Amino acid sequence: MNVGKERVDIVVTTITQKRTALTALVSSAGAIEIAPPILLTASDYFDLAGEEFGRRLLLTEGANGKQYCLRPDFTLPIAQHHLTRKNASPAAYGYLGPVFRQRKSGPTEFEQAGIELLGHVDAHKALANVLDFTSSALNIYDISAPRMRLGCIALFETLLDELQIPPVWHPRLRRRFGNVSAMDALLTRLSAPHTQIDTGVVKTRQQLIDEITQKMHEDGLSQDVGRSPHDIAERFLEKQALAAATVSPKKVELLRAFLAIAGPADEVLPKLENFYAMAQLSLGDAYNTFRKQIELFSQVLPKSKINIETAFSPRLHYYTGLVFEIYGNSGKVLVSGGQYDRLLQALGAQQKINASGCALWVNRLEAQREVEGKQ
Amino acid sequence: MSKIVIAVPSKGRLEELTREVFANAGMALTRPGGARSYQGEIVGHDDIIVRFLSAGEIARELVRGNLDLGVTGEDLIHEAAENGAESVIFAKPLGFGQADVVIAVPEAWIDVSQMQDLSDVAADFCAHSPRLLRIATKYINLTRHFFATHGIAEYRIVESLGATEAAPASGSADLIVDITSTGSTLKANGLKILPDGVILKSEANLIVSCAATWSKEKKNSLETIVKMLGGEITPQYQAL
Repeated sequence: MNVGKERVDIVVTTITQKRTALTALVSSAGAIEIAPPILLTASDYFDLAGEEFGRRLLLTEGANGKQYCLRPDFTLPIAQHHLTRKNASPAAYGYLGPVFRQRKSGPTEFEQAGIELLGHVDAHKALANVLDFTSSALNIYDISAPRMRLGCIALFETLLDELQIPPVWHPRLRRRFGNVSAMDALLTRLSAPHTQIDTGVVKTRQQLIDEITQKMHEDGLSQDVGRSPHDIAERFLEKQALAAATVSPKKVELLRAFLAIAGPADEVLPKLENFYAMAQLSLGDAYNTFRKQIELFSQVLPKSKINIETAFSPRLHYYTGLVFEIYGNSGKVLVSGGQYDRLLQALGAQQKINASGCALWVNRLEAQREVEGKQ
Repeated sequence: MSKIVIAVPSKGRLEELTREVFANAGMALTRPGGARSYQGEIVGHDDIIVRFLSAGEIARELVRGNLDLGVTGEDLIHEAAENGAESVIFAKPLGFGQADVVIAVPEAWIDVSQMQDLSDVAADFCAHSPRLLRIATKYINLTRHFFATHGIAEYRIVESLGATEAAPASGSADLIVDITSTGSTLKANGLKILPDGVILKSEANLIVSCAATWSKEKKNSLETIVKMLGGEITPQYQAL
């Protein structure tokens, strides 16, 4: 599969010609062009991404009371489509069409194009295809030296294991990753996680479970639907047993030092290596993979200005590896993408399915050309 | 069209207290047609048209700019539109209709006593469960904004238009965001308020619509009304 390998070499000048070239790229060798419905079930987005993404949906209600939304992106419906296919063989999907989002200024319609590579065993090769596609698209719009920002979810998640951060903190740290202030507050709590609670008589786990069960029964709360008496008792004990879940100040400092690493790619890689040496950690698989990915970016987009930010994350839990954003003159994102190997499982797949892709903001790419033309 | 349109609550305690505040300021509201009429006036102020509407409708129409001025709860402005509060000027808090929009969790959640606990619980919950933590509320915009400032994204809102306090017991949500004045209804339903989970301390306000059309005459009328009710003309008014 060589999506985007064929460079579009015809000279294209007008917006219409560029659009034709982009349409050709989207349906180029190996990619299945796909046009999911514009009207989608809203709850799929809320279930996957929560309210922070949900607030940006354009909602409407059916006569059956069910909530629908206008397509806010292509990734979710394409991933769902992939899962309905009988043989889950690797596939590449290309798309181009309108998406709808709620903005501060009001509802907005704009066009997105992109590809999704789902189920490819060789993740590096899939990412290379995504980048080739990106490069071809930028080429259509005469953009050769864009600014870009790279991050890597895997580096952060691996570090939690390597520093032996107590597992109870992992989901909490992962969910706050990418939000600077929330992460900062959480890191401050890591070394002194909970304000001392007045525990009175120390109770056993079973005593607590019995008491919570009794209280839930009295208040008419179901024990099967939400947090169970067991979950509540566990976390209560965790709060009581401060020592058990405390992270040493040294480790918190290391996490902070890691998240502060940012700058041009050629400076950041040595900084990262210094960091691992200082933390007495070996350069593991996650780092080596990341380094190779950076090399790939430099090869495919040789004139781009790559900035790496270790704390950068799109704040969607299904992202797993490399994440990137490419910016235009105005500072707006022209292309965003990355690796999201947890997406298909979150949508019900029984095993992990590799996923990578990117989305292009077509209107911004088109506007970009005008800006450059005026200069 | 140089008359200014002011809307006030059309019934109950809110109407009584609004009339009282206006009367004390020397602007007695009259409702010539009685409770069945929705038009009124202010004695001695020919430049003012009074409309009696429901508090929710007043908020919505102020944000849209179909009313110039109104008396309603701050909480309702936030729910009328995501950027509702940016479309109005809160000219003067009126000292009644006080209620807090709060986060309340089951008392059985003995491990949760503040927002940072809820942050942990939201993250832990979706790590162990196929679904997200659910919050029942009618205060969708306020809830989303408050949770976003705490960096919590992993939850779902279940819209609830009545008896929100019963949602955890009925199993339709795990916790709630609701309005309360004494907290007794929440307590009776086995719920506790998180002390740092008070999202908004709301009360009835005199509210100016920035989306309405403001002529010179209307602006003059507005300034008179605001000052008579004890409000200050802040630099915000220059944008009208």
